[in-house]
Amino acid sequence: MTTQQLRPIVSVFPIKGKVKTIKQVPLPSVFSAPIRPDVVRFVHTNMAKNNRQAHAVSTTAGEQTSATSWGTGRAVARIPRVKGSGTGRSGQAAFGNMCRGGRMYAPKKVWRKWHRKINTNQKRYAVCSAIAATAVTPLVMSRGHRVNKLPELPLVVSDQLQSLTKTRQAVKFLKFIGAYRDVEKVIRTKKTRVGQGKYRNRRHVLRKGPMVVYARNLGIKKAFRNIPGVETASVYTLNLLKLAPGSQMGRFIIWTESAFKLLEDIYGSWEKPSKFKSGFYLPRPVMVNTDVERIIKSDQVQTVLRNRRPRSRKYGKKIQRADPYEDMSVMVKLNPYYKTKLQKQKELEEKNKKERKEIVDKSRKEYEDWLYFSEEEEEEEEEEEEEGSDEDREIEVLSDEN
Amino acid sequence: MSKQVPETIKKQVKRSFNSKEVKKEKNEKRMKLLKEIQSKAFKRAEKYEKEYLEQDQKLVELKQKALKEGSFYREPEPKLAFIIRIRGIVGVPPKPRKILQLLRLRRIYSGVFIRLNKSSLRMLHFIDPYVTWGYPDVETVRALIYKRGHARVNHQRKIIDSNEMIYDKLQKYDIVCMEDLVHEIYTVGKNFKHANSFLWAFKLKPPVGGFSTVKKSFVNKGEHGNREQYINTLVKKMI
Repeated sequence: MTTQQLRPIVSVFPIKGKVKTIKQVPLPSVFSAPIRPDVVRFVHTNMAKNNRQAHAVSTTAGEQTSATSWGTGRAVARIPRVKGSGTGRSGQAAFGNMCRGGRMYAPKKVWRKWHRKINTNQKRYAVCSAIAATAVTPLVMSRGHRVNKLPELPLVVSDQLQSLTKTRQAVKFLKFIGAYRDVEKVIRTKKTRVGQGKYRNRRHVLRKGPMVVYARNLGIKKAFRNIPGVETASVYTLNLLKLAPGSQMGRFIIWTESAFKLLEDIYGSWEKPSKFKSGFYLPRPVMVNTDVERIIKSDQVQTVLRNRRPRSRKYGKKIQRADPYEDMSVMVKLNPYYKTKLQKQKELEEKNKKERKEIVDKSRKEYEDWLYFSEEEEEEEEEEEEEGSDEDREIEVLSDEN
Repeated sequence: MSKQVPETIKKQVKRSFNSKEVKKEKNEKRMKLLKEIQSKAFKRAEKYEKEYLEQDQKLVELKQKALKEGSFYREPEPKLAFIIRIRGIVGVPPKPRKILQLLRLRRIYSGVFIRLNKSSLRMLHFIDPYVTWGYPDVETVRALIYKRGHARVNHQRKIIDSNEMIYDKLQKYDIVCMEDLVHEIYTVGKNFKHANSFLWAFKLKPPVGGFSTVKKSFVNKGEHGNREQYINTLVKKMI
């Protein structure tokens, strides 16, 4: 809304020839109204229904027979059939929507709801949006108007335009201002209507050309009346169906200076209500600053954000680490003491082995000593018995295997 | 002439959480922490090795002493049990089903540690036909945690691949490494609950060599119920 304080300036162009100083006019607040295609679409589709004329099918159509069903047992369908005989019509099916000459399904009635009520505020919202869109060049171009050669959009022209009376003058003006290309387009693309409207008094289809909006009709209406595609309108009664034909925003509008200035009074602003529409203020946009990227990147936002959570690579990956009992590096990572432990175990084992060996050696030695002495004794005995020492040798072999 | 950098980008870089300096600082801090953890792990592992050895020796000593005196040494009742669910989920009545859920034994061949007290023993009584349990020794506890130990991190099951993982979660309970975890579980320390809930329920493989019959209790030449120290051999077959 603060942007409203700075209102851009629009030039007022003469209708012919050059002027020493071009007058400047501030842009009315309407042109900063929110452009809401959804609102315009809704209002347009409903408003467009309001100029419909009732139509219906005759109430008696298809019912003007006294047909009765033949019932079952006659090898024919059970549809009501025309009574009597002596004519081709007799026995023919009647009444059903599927029957030839029968009444249609759900015959149209005149009491169909032809018109639509739309909330006044919605209507005004749509018109404000549509007017705002007429100042947006891309929208006007996308609607199909040829606006390349225009000096400015919105195109505001001196009030002298209102006093034109001749069509020739009007055409000259359009050519002068660069709007005639749009009219040329209309002329060039006049076609016969596709469909049955062509023989229902709607033979030709024309594009929409520029719309001339005036404050006072001093002849301008008649001057522009015969130019194909051009429409005129009073600024007091701007019609959405003309501002956004086909609910497509961005009609090419030529404003007269007084009409342009009156827009401020007719539609008001956010601070001042409209003078003509009681209690009406311009609609407020949902977002004032729509540059979301800029908002996000601004200091005010960035400094308050929490830090970005880094993609946790720590234990985020779905890694299947190796079995620590098979892969030593994994084991050591988990238990740095492991290698030392193995070492100590090994040392202990060796120590034990050594000790055991000592014990075994010692006991073996003792045993051998004992054997030796017992051999001596036996030898003394053997001198009498003369026995071999095979048994002793066997025993020795066994003790070696220990 | 250097390229013009948009001001917003300059500001962003300055502010950035991921700027080079910040990253470097963070990395240094982390490396330092890792070193600390590993050195702690080393020292504590050493300490625990001694402790386990001493415990065993003490047990033997006391037994021998009792024998000498002609009396009996009654060993302290086991504090820790390892339970393995050995029956599937079909056709389990509500009470055992609930208890199995409470113990995190939600699927067959899942295993959990549990501290033994009157309440838990009563729970085990109810689920006896569906589980087999016993008193694991240090090596079993170690093997389970090292080989099949997964942590519950952010409601996710993640394999424990570094001491840092344990440190982050259990530092406030003075558990910083694998050996700490093993010790806490094996000796059922003060923070057993936290150590145990840090661990996801173990998912074991069906035993090599199979079961005899799960329908009978271990005592009756089957498989279910309390099998005391024979749980160790079973875990070796299932790990």
